[in-house]
Amino acid sequence: MEIGVQKQTDEEKQVQKGQFNKLNDSGDKRQTGYCGFLTVEYYTPYFNVTENDVIQRVKATFLPFRPDFLNITKDNPDLWGPIWINATLIFMITAIANLRQVDSEKENQSFDVGYVPQATALLYIIAFGTPAILAVVMKVLGVDLSFFQTICLYGYSMSTLLPITILCYFQNELFLWLIITYGVGNSILFLIFNLKEELDKLQIQKKYIIIAIVVTMQLSLYLFYKLVFFSYVSEGNVETTTTSASSEPKEPAN
Amino acid sequence: MEFEVQENQANNSIQGVINLQPQVNPVQAQHQEIPIKQTDLQVSSTLEESVAVTLLRDLRQIGVKLRCVLVPTMSTNNARELRNWDLWGPLVFCLMLALTLSMSGNNDDGPGIFATIFVLIWVGSFVVTLNAQLLGGKVSFFQSVCVLGYCVFPINLGALFTLFFSFFYLKMFLVIGCFLWSTYSAVGFMKLLIPEQKRILALYPVILFYLFLSWFALIV
Repeated sequence: MEIGVQKQTDEEKQVQKGQFNKLNDSGDKRQTGYCGFLTVEYYTPYFNVTENDVIQRVKATFLPFRPDFLNITKDNPDLWGPIWINATLIFMITAIANLRQVDSEKENQSFDVGYVPQATALLYIIAFGTPAILAVVMKVLGVDLSFFQTICLYGYSMSTLLPITILCYFQNELFLWLIITYGVGNSILFLIFNLKEELDKLQIQKKYIIIAIVVTMQLSLYLFYKLVFFSYVSEGNVETTTTSASSEPKEPAN
Repeated sequence: MEFEVQENQANNSIQGVINLQPQVNPVQAQHQEIPIKQTDLQVSSTLEESVAVTLLRDLRQIGVKLRCVLVPTMSTNNARELRNWDLWGPLVFCLMLALTLSMSGNNDDGPGIFATIFVLIWVGSFVVTLNAQLLGGKVSFFQSVCVLGYCVFPINLGALFTLFFSFFYLKMFLVIGCFLWSTYSAVGFMKLLIPEQKRILALYPVILFYLFLSWFALIV
């Protein structure tokens, strides 16, 4: 137990040293050195938001025609939103996808836990991979938007999926496709309107390349979303297109 | 336990002789040798005890910490107790929860559920603690992981209840009660260490974490 106490004072000393370093080079937000991005202090400036900020940013996502978002977040991109909005989405996907299956088959309820790793992989790759690709493309084409700002933009655009996931509980196919279309439209408009100011400085072809990338990624995300997690559920026949080993197609009840 | 022994062996100049008598060896009668001699006495006495006594002592410490964490009174005793973090308790509760849920009859993917719960608890605690640190809280990393792990215990109880009862609304009521208990204890510990405006930003992941686990306990 003494060793436990000793380890903690070492950790606390390290945290204090890190803060002392930050005070020294106060003009420079980032740690120097190649492995600076592996430390905790490198990411601390990106968590500099309060609850009201986060709520305001999420609200701005649902109103794509007022491009306030980039103006709000230009100086203060944050990483809290992208990470935890996606985590909430993973929980909701698991909950609601399984609730849908529970309702359709009364006797033999099997719980498909394969949704958790699938949802995690899909959401986090899209939420962090797409902005990475987009940021690289934009840097090459000459747009002045930093990597973290793109991540922030994309992460918050995922919050359109929050009410959509809750509404996906209902079984009506037409309704699901309607809200998925609304979601695609909303998030694409949100992204494009917010990038518009930056994109207008470019030539036409470059602008369209970026817009094309954005549209493709959003379409594929929403299609995946619908087909993998919320596909057609009929009376006696649970049909999912997941690739987890536990789900097997069952015979339709006659 | 072995850690202690190694540390003392590095400082100890007597090789291979277990000194059972608490008197100072006249050859090494220096002032700084005396604390080493006292821990040397402890080391030798813990080496000589039976395995059952060692295990019972560890279990008793887990029990003491559990009581500190789960009975939500914020006395200074509690705070001091919690500073001696250990990861045995979280491991025990994590394994219990994963085993209970993977063995219940309702599913055909036992190993998958075990793996998911195990990874969820450890990666979840890690990420929640990292989040609290990034928001500027003065949280020591392993202490926070330790408290989050101990607060999984009520969800363990909830999972055991759901094994025995089959009426859905009763299960839901019990699991919600356990979820509220876990969250209240964890939040009580963490909210002292975060600055005022970012409190909900740090506490929401904790709530999400226990919500996820309670959901698993209820549905599986």
